[in-house]
Amino acid sequence: MKVILPVAAAGVLFTAACASHASTSPTAPSITFQSGMTPGMSGSAMPGVMPDMQSPPASASATAADSPAPQGGTAISMSDFKFNPATLTVPVGTTVTWTNQDEEPHTVAAKDGSFHSPGMDTHGTYSFTFTAPGSYDYVCSIHPFMTGTVVVTK
Amino acid sequence: MSVDPQGMTRRQLIRHSAWFGAAVALTVAGGEVISHVAGSADATQPARPTLRFAQISDSHIGFNGPANPNVADTFSHAIGQINSLGYTPDFVIHTGDLTHLATPAQFDQVKQMLTELNTPHVFTVPGEHDSTDDAGQKYRQAFGAGTRGDGWYSFDVAGVHVIGLVNTLHLQKLGHLGTDQLEFVEKDVAGLSSDTPIIVFSHIPLFAMYPDWGWGTDDAAQALSYLKRFASVTCLNGHVHQLFSKTEGNVTFYSGTTTAYPLPAPGQGPAPKPMTLPAGKLRDALGIREVSYAKGQQALALKDQKLT
Amino acid sequence: MKAANLAAGTAISASVAVSGILHAYLYVNGYRDVPTIGSAFLLQGSVFCALAVLILVGGPAWLRLAAAAGAAASLVAFGLSRTIGLFGFIETGWQPAPYAQISVAAEVLTVALVVATVVRRRSSVRHET
Repeated sequence: MKVILPVAAAGVLFTAACASHASTSPTAPSITFQSGMTPGMSGSAMPGVMPDMQSPPASASATAADSPAPQGGTAISMSDFKFNPATLTVPVGTTVTWTNQDEEPHTVAAKDGSFHSPGMDTHGTYSFTFTAPGSYDYVCSIHPFMTGTVVVTK
Repeated sequence: MSVDPQGMTRRQLIRHSAWFGAAVALTVAGGEVISHVAGSADATQPARPTLRFAQISDSHIGFNGPANPNVADTFSHAIGQINSLGYTPDFVIHTGDLTHLATPAQFDQVKQMLTELNTPHVFTVPGEHDSTDDAGQKYRQAFGAGTRGDGWYSFDVAGVHVIGLVNTLHLQKLGHLGTDQLEFVEKDVAGLSSDTPIIVFSHIPLFAMYPDWGWGTDDAAQALSYLKRFASVTCLNGHVHQLFSKTEGNVTFYSGTTTAYPLPAPGQGPAPKPMTLPAGKLRDALGIREVSYAKGQQALALKDQKLT
Repeated sequence: MKAANLAAGTAISASVAVSGILHAYLYVNGYRDVPTIGSAFLLQGSVFCALAVLILVGGPAWLRLAAAAGAAASLVAFGLSRTIGLFGFIETGWQPAPYAQISVAAEVLTVALVVATVVRRRSSVRHET
């Protein structure tokens, strides 16, 4: 039984020594998350096991309104981050087509929500048929300082 | 010796009390020793900053134009630069416009590339390009796990409180936070002591850098009012594709540059459209940023690096 | 069975010391800055090291029971920190490895040894009467 005491003491000292040798450099700070809020993903220096953040990509891809090139439809272009013309007046039932001539993508989004195009890349187009009269203010949802109006007359 | 009817003799009581006293005394002594060691560990350890991280922004994966015909290449290069800093950043933050057109393929590609970063955590906030068609749905599927609302969040590291905000949805000419998010900010910092350093990430600047081009956030003032009592508040943003900084009261704003293509300085041109620079000059306009914080210092230390 | 009691006391002291020293070490290296949990680590390290010393020199049985209670509490706290969070603190897996594994093992050993000691004393008392 007299063996146990020195063995136990040696064990404790050995563990303590191992613990102090284990890290020679200061420990990196760990991030404290609140329960239920664990944002972010892991990079390649991830030591432990992280919850799997991979999720299947969205299958629905945005498609522009599938209409052929309008014959006699009225056109608005986007260039230099402006809608040209800024105000367009059309009779009800007209199909208006927007064309993006900027390098940057744009969208058209009505302030009252009546139309919202998908993202239009360079030379992308979007068409919408106005079936109700009124004044439709819209913006580009990516660059909301771009504004335009379509006035639909009876 | 007769046993006390109460179950313990006075001698036993004194004996047990002595042991208890010894336990308390030893605990206090042990605590003092441990605290002392912790204090001297501060002094003897090499001056490693309490916190150091990197910022990368506006990768616009999917862009293809004369301003940068290969944004994936320059982004990959920027990631390599972060991995060669000579230390492992405690985390990396991407301040938005990860993709150019918010397509599933672009989200996959940028997420894949971000896993190459040699760091334990990568955080993101969405740019308006990431939320083009769907109010940020695809962005949140790719990067929104564990966030709240439209993708905002907060966490603590090394005594610093970090908040990630989303101001690229429900835009009406400028960036917009919204009442739910403002309520989150108010509650989130309510319990913190005023000497806690605060770092805020957003895509669009939280200050009026150039409102004509949408370079500002309409309700940022309210969010910043909740942070007024803190000694050190640092806001890091992207969106403007150029370095810029401004101090207003206790808040310092630092805009970071892009890894894709430069935009003109405020007012220098009709619109914030991609600028094509003379051959060989593109990399000078792109870059990454290192940020470090040392306990006891109020301001963060920033180091911006061009793309090499 | 005084020798067995001495051996058990030494072993319990050792496992308590391991857990206490590890918590103290982690406090010095980073956990100091974590709100609430940092102070808890300091407390655990101090209490466990004190208990380890006193159990080793042959203190009364309630010291061992206190050590077992503390070890059980440490295990519960560890479990909470991996699942629903403890005072807002969450870590994943066995972070910080290998300290977490060693400490958990030491705490489990402490509880097991104290339970065994209590059982042995109860059965030996029954034998003597």
